[in-house]
Amino acid sequence: MNNSVLVFREEWRFWSRSRLAGGAFAIMTLVLLGSVIHTWSYSTSESERRANLQEQAETAFLSQPARHPHRMVHYGHYAFRTPVPLSALDPGIDPFSGTVLFLEGHRQNSAMFAEASELSSLTRFGSLSPAFALQVLAPLLLVIMGFSGISRERENSTLIQLQASGVGSSSLLAGKALALLSVVGLLLLPLAVAGLLLVPSISASPAAVLMLVLVHGVYLMAWALGTTAVSALVRTSAASLAVLLLVWTLWVIVLPKFASSLARGIEPIPGKIASDLYLLTDEELADGHNAADPGFAVLTAQLLDTYDVDDVADLPMNIRGIVSSAGEAAATEKLNEYAQQRLSDELNQAHVVDRLALLSPLLAIRRASMALAGTDLEHQHRFLREAEELRFSFVQGLNTLHAEELAYSDDIKRSADATAEQRTRVDASNWRLLPEFHFSVAPAGDRIISALPMTALLIAWTLTLLGLCALIGKRVRP
Amino acid sequence: MQAIDIDKLIVRRGQRLVLSGIDLHVARGEVFALLGGNGAGKSTTLLTLLGFLQPESGEVRVLGDAVAVNPEKARQHIAYLPESASLYNHLNAYENLRYFLALSGRAQAQSALDQALDRVALQPEARSQKLENYSKGMRQKTAIALALLREAPVLLLDEPTSGLDPLAIGEFNHLLKELAANGCAVMMVTHDLFGACQVADRIALLSDGNLQGEFQAKSGERIDLDQVLQRFNGMVAA
Repeated sequence: MNNSVLVFREEWRFWSRSRLAGGAFAIMTLVLLGSVIHTWSYSTSESERRANLQEQAETAFLSQPARHPHRMVHYGHYAFRTPVPLSALDPGIDPFSGTVLFLEGHRQNSAMFAEASELSSLTRFGSLSPAFALQVLAPLLLVIMGFSGISRERENSTLIQLQASGVGSSSLLAGKALALLSVVGLLLLPLAVAGLLLVPSISASPAAVLMLVLVHGVYLMAWALGTTAVSALVRTSAASLAVLLLVWTLWVIVLPKFASSLARGIEPIPGKIASDLYLLTDEELADGHNAADPGFAVLTAQLLDTYDVDDVADLPMNIRGIVSSAGEAAATEKLNEYAQQRLSDELNQAHVVDRLALLSPLLAIRRASMALAGTDLEHQHRFLREAEELRFSFVQGLNTLHAEELAYSDDIKRSADATAEQRTRVDASNWRLLPEFHFSVAPAGDRIISALPMTALLIAWTLTLLGLCALIGKRVRP
Repeated sequence: MQAIDIDKLIVRRGQRLVLSGIDLHVARGEVFALLGGNGAGKSTTLLTLLGFLQPESGEVRVLGDAVAVNPEKARQHIAYLPESASLYNHLNAYENLRYFLALSGRAQAQSALDQALDRVALQPEARSQKLENYSKGMRQKTAIALALLREAPVLLLDEPTSGLDPLAIGEFNHLLKELAANGCAVMMVTHDLFGACQVADRIALLSDGNLQGEFQAKSGERIDLDQVLQRFNGMVAA
């Protein structure tokens, strides 16, 4: 039998008889299984809950009595971000970003009720998801199981016996690395099973699931190879463990935090309040509630000219509805400008973090995994854009009703004349103009393309460490 | 062709010159002992023979295979018994033997393992216990059994009787003689003058990286301990 295979088998026998390695492996397996079950069940129930809330919001809107259309513009509506299927494996930024938007006329509100903000201060740092377990905890397990792979043989003088028995240092290193890589395979099993058996039932793409498992595999391979390399390079097991824990701390704790701080420093983003204040002080915007606002003078003149009348009261439509619609369009254009700037700023921050993935594979796997799951910043932006489309659509629908169904003569005296006010109420059946809203994840192909740069970086990390192992493999000495 | 050929071997460890041009040859069927005090260069000689240290100059061959060119091939001819029996504590004697034999491509039947362990007098009831419960002597016996089972034409021993009781040392010496009689080249490094004189056909004294003298046993006789001791003491005093 090949010596690498013999070393591989012996390493597994050592682990099976070692309390530390066996215990760590058992705990990690439980954590992984627990995280898969917990996150999947949470994601499923949350998905149902938000879908129900979306339905309730729609029912509440549709069951409003006959009203003035502009009152419905301010009555508003809600858009819920239902969790995407693969958030059961990687919730990404979902717990930290708002899940619901209140949609109303003339305003773009912030998403509210992030899961993390609803938790107590002790539990708001994110729950245990399969992605967290694989990205943060699994490398620790690989370190615990592999830190002494070669150094232990050197310390116990078994390295000299192994090599004197004809085991080449490359075979030895290959056997040790294979053993750790087999641990990687076992660690991926719960993710793969959850992905391939559970997730299709909630309509996830098999290609995205497969890719998600593969990128985590590549990431953990880098850890397995790095751990083997350090255990061969460093003379003692204690030093090997110290080096690996230092690397884990840097890659998993320090650099990601540093990356966030750096991104905030390099690409600062004005808060939503600041954007709203800029908007309030924007003098170019006319008031859509006031048909006499000088900002609408040109529009009014054009209408009078088109319909060849002298007074807005003689127009075939309600000028107040037209002005509301024009005001909404102008305000939305301006709001979108600010929103787009904000989204660009957020993406720029993300790109700063991306560049630091050259220094920490955790940043690379986190980005690739969230992109594949559809729980990254781009998907939050996708939700905001889809919700904004819904807002603009129903608000303008109501403005059109205002313009076409309400007589101008009734509209201007509805505050003083109760019968006129009654006539400005449109029938409740008109509220059906509200489109249904279902937030959906981007197609799997788009998500895979989006994850490719970070996947390539992870492959580069792994190949570099494989090269390092091959180099060390030629010079392991007792 | 000798089993072991060492020609003009110079080895440095760091800045220190450990072996300064020694010539040494061991034939098949011979028990050769390299004697010397601490730091004389005995272990360095063995490590160079195993290909773990690169010589500055000179040549080392095992059964004609140059160690510097292909250390793994040269090691296939060698069974090595380190000073501290380098075996796994989490395995029992059988598991240790099976593992190392499989690695050297010499898997043996259970009966052969028992036979070897009988030859080194390791108690049968201890053989299925993990080595973490073994005494130093028991570990050494297991390591010797491994060296026997390797059936290698060259046997390298580093302080082989360390940890063995007098009775076991006698049995071990008898084993070495038996192996040599079957054509094995045995080379041991030790500072145990008495033990070396008991078993070796030839003894060389190593001091400060140089060979200082050689003693050959006359046919059917042992090497004279007093003669070796006198030279050894003179060497240490110098």
